Amino acid sequence: MTQKNLPSLIKILLARLGTMPLAILLLIVLALASSIGTVLLQNQGQTDYLQQFGPLWYWVLRALGMFDMYHSWWFIALLGFLMASVGACLWRNVPRMLGEMRARKITLPDRIWKRMENQQQWEVKGTSVDQVVAQVRTLLPGWDWLQDERDGATWLRGDRGRYHKWGYILVHSAILVILIGGWLSVHYGFRGNMSVPEKGQEKEISFVQGSGVGHLTMPFSVRCNKFHIEFFPNGMPKEFRSNLTIIDHGKEVMTKDIIVNGPLYYKGVRIFQASFGDGGSDINLKLYHLDGSGTTSMAHTAVYDTWKDPTTGVSLEITDFKPYNVENMGDPGKAKKFQDLGPAVEFVLRGKGLKSVKIKSFMNPFVLGDDDRGSFMMVSLTGDAKDYQAVPLGLDFSNPKEWKLFNAFVGRLAQRTSKKSGESGREANINAFKQAVVDVFGDKRPANLPQMGTRVVQSVKTLMQMPWPFLPVLENYDQVYYTGLQLTQDPGINVVWVGSGLLVFGLCIMFYMSHRKIWLRVIKTGETGVNLHLAGRSNRNPLAFTEEFHQLFNKLQQGCGIDTKSTKESL
Amino acid sequence: MTSITMDQPQQSRLFAAIHQGKIAVLRCWAYLGFIGGASALAMFGSNYSESGYIFQLLSMSGVVWGGAGMLVGIGVGAVLTRSDDTDSPNWQSKLVPWLDGVVVLLLLMGLWTLFEPAASQISYTDQSNLVSVRTIMAMKVLFLFSAACYIAQLFAPESFIGKVASWCAWGGVYAGGSSLLLRWYESYQFLGGEIGHAPVSNLYEVFILLCCVISIIYLSFERRYRTTGLGAFVMFLVAAAVLFIIWLGSYGEADIKPLVPALQSYWMKIHVPMNFVGYGSFAVACAAGMAWLVRARLERSGKNAKLLAIFPSLDQLDQLSYRAVSIGFPAFTLATILGAVWASQAWGGYWSWDPKETWALIVLLVYGAWLHVRVSHGWSGRVLAWWSVTAFVVTLFCFVGVNMYLSGLHSYGHLG
Repeated sequence: MTQKNLPSLIKILLARLGTMPLAILLLIVLALASSIGTVLLQNQGQTDYLQQFGPLWYWVLRALGMFDMYHSWWFIALLGFLMASVGACLWRNVPRMLGEMRARKITLPDRIWKRMENQQQWEVKGTSVDQVVAQVRTLLPGWDWLQDERDGATWLRGDRGRYHKWGYILVHSAILVILIGGWLSVHYGFRGNMSVPEKGQEKEISFVQGSGVGHLTMPFSVRCNKFHIEFFPNGMPKEFRSNLTIIDHGKEVMTKDIIVNGPLYYKGVRIFQASFGDGGSDINLKLYHLDGSGTTSMAHTAVYDTWKDPTTGVSLEITDFKPYNVENMGDPGKAKKFQDLGPAVEFVLRGKGLKSVKIKSFMNPFVLGDDDRGSFMMVSLTGDAKDYQAVPLGLDFSNPKEWKLFNAFVGRLAQRTSKKSGESGREANINAFKQAVVDVFGDKRPANLPQMGTRVVQSVKTLMQMPWPFLPVLENYDQVYYTGLQLTQDPGINVVWVGSGLLVFGLCIMFYMSHRKIWLRVIKTGETGVNLHLAGRSNRNPLAFTEEFHQLFNKLQQGCGIDTKSTKESL
Repeated sequence: MTSITMDQPQQSRLFAAIHQGKIAVLRCWAYLGFIGGASALAMFGSNYSESGYIFQLLSMSGVVWGGAGMLVGIGVGAVLTRSDDTDSPNWQSKLVPWLDGVVVLLLLMGLWTLFEPAASQISYTDQSNLVSVRTIMAMKVLFLFSAACYIAQLFAPESFIGKVASWCAWGGVYAGGSSLLLRWYESYQFLGGEIGHAPVSNLYEVFILLCCVISIIYLSFERRYRTTGLGAFVMFLVAAAVLFIIWLGSYGEADIKPLVPALQSYWMKIHVPMNFVGYGSFAVACAAGMAWLVRARLERSGKNAKLLAIFPSLDQLDQLSYRAVSIGFPAFTLATILGAVWASQAWGGYWSWDPKETWALIVLLVYGAWLHVRVSHGWSGRVLAWWSVTAFVVTLFCFVGVNMYLSGLHSYGHLG
């Protein structure tokens, strides 16, 4: 493109700006562009994108701002272009429309008379022009009348819905107002998140900014006194509630509960309940050593901490804790049956020579109906929560005797097989179990021994195959939540509401109001008669207007004297 | 008044008698008065609670407030209305059929509750005993049968089957509408009444609403513009929606479930139904577009003149399509704005570029472009007809596709 062409291009662009084809094109382009961001997940972690697209596409997409596309330069430019187009459109049409609304021709030239689809002509005897005009005005009070005398005839012009064009003006200006409000919100407001652990306090919010994270310090601190979840009888969450205290300059100024759909307002900032999570609960894991010693030890740690075993070098990084784990226990495809599996802790187990895995360890055994199926954990070999697989451990670890019985059984079994007493494998098993029962319980056998025995025998295989030196099972916990809050300040919001109101109001005018015009020419005929000629048109909805015109005509015909004779009937 | 123009429907005398005249006008004022009284009870009455309101309305205080409002309404109506105005069509005679319809729905719902099994036979885990299961089944059968009749009518234009089709569609609307109201009532019958909520909370419920809204919009068009041929296309879409409802039911989605905290707001009752006025009218616009394309094709081929007998003309179809959009576009705009108001109160921002919001915007942009195309006159009816069909596909994606395929704040509609 040469330099010479440039100004003319701008000229053409300016001339085209605000024309219909450009408006249509712009609307379609905006629709297509907006849809991209709904398919490509926005504002995810950069590493996720890198993994998903590979380095080349990652950098291409990143350069185009695709990961935060609704705030990218080109999308903003598109919105700016829309504003320019709407503005140009208003600039071009508003003066003409205002002029049209003001200019109301009282008389109709003959050629237009002929083209009018709706017209009626009739005569009234025994009355005068003035009387008829007065009658018309009282019969049709809702019409806006103008009157004039010309060429021996009296003209009446009535308008209804004269301000129909305001609908167009309002709708288009409303779009400008809303976009300006949005711009104010983005530039002079903020919207960010903070996580406040129970009993803790926080002053800073964080938010996504391009491909990074921005921070902002609030003029006050928020303390979370308590976070509480209430459940429906079927186990679904009913309410998330945070009890918050606002601390301004060291003084507690306000204490209030917030819930989802029920925010708090302080100094122009709204505080919303957005999420929740673990705020660093104390976790006690009991480690069942699988070296045959039958010993156990405790690991005292907390969520988000890493505990390291000094002897084996195995580390446990605690990532999350949940006191409730409601899972669907129904068969796939059948009606869902939700059951709370109790507290569970999630951690990543790492160690020398061990594949690092993600584990979710439950405190309670898995009980289906009355059947205790022993403790279990979920293990994900990939470290992704999607790949969790249930691993039944066999033993019910919530009963310490069961672990003892297991170890006694394993010990006795080893003794018997090393002695080579000539027993068959089955006999050795039975005898070893009998001895182990005596070792653990003496004479007082518990009532549930048969089930316990089944679990112990079953667990020999599973527990002996475990690759880890010990089995970490959640023993107890002291739970602390954090509450996830969203803090927003939005100076543009009222502008947006005003724009929205104008938009809806304007649309209603545009769609449901039509500008209807009627003309009535009254001519004196003979001594006491008048000839009336009525015509009308509407700028939209011609079918409905034809009907309305008939009603008007009937009303006038009946109201303007009794001696009537219709001379022309259209339709 | 005897002037009946070509386009005025020849309504039956019974309907004219019910919807016009002094009694209809005063009835309309009485309804409005009752609505005013009930609102006053909510605003100024004591012990207002959102979930207990409907029961409050049915108690003595409801009778007092509502009745007082009704009397005031009748009084205002009697003063404002001049006797000679009551016979000609006026806004009251346009409004009163809708309000009458609501009353019929409420009465039907009350009737169904009489057949509700004893509390011991209703349980949250097995909801198959509820009466609404049966009334919803009746709705499905009526709509499917109505669709079959409308399509049959294309091949037998003079037959009474067209009447059967309309009456079945009306029956379906009343069965579906009263079922939804009944479901609202039934949702308070489990788990100590804790999970009670308006029946617009999952795909199953809103699809019932959608079927009813599409049918109501179409039937009011049929009554006003005598467009029987269009019914085959509209009810075809409704029948498809009914099949989707049946499919959802087979996945256990038909059960009444508690509301997640994000939806526990009175805004849900306003925002969701308003959206469905939009979706429903866009569906009717799409049907008119489909009918346009079929008619244009039949006309070109020159055969099947008998089929065309009952079709509205191409111009009329184009007008009907515009009429449907002129209901849908403002309604959908308002619904989106109401959604933004709700979002600003629940999520901290009026616009988050959440997939559902974005697709709602896309729908508005697509229909906005359609309206601009229409005004610019440059393009033929064929483009507009294709456009209204395509735009409805976009709308469908906004409505169902976003919930099924994309994640976001509206993901409570996920299929499990």
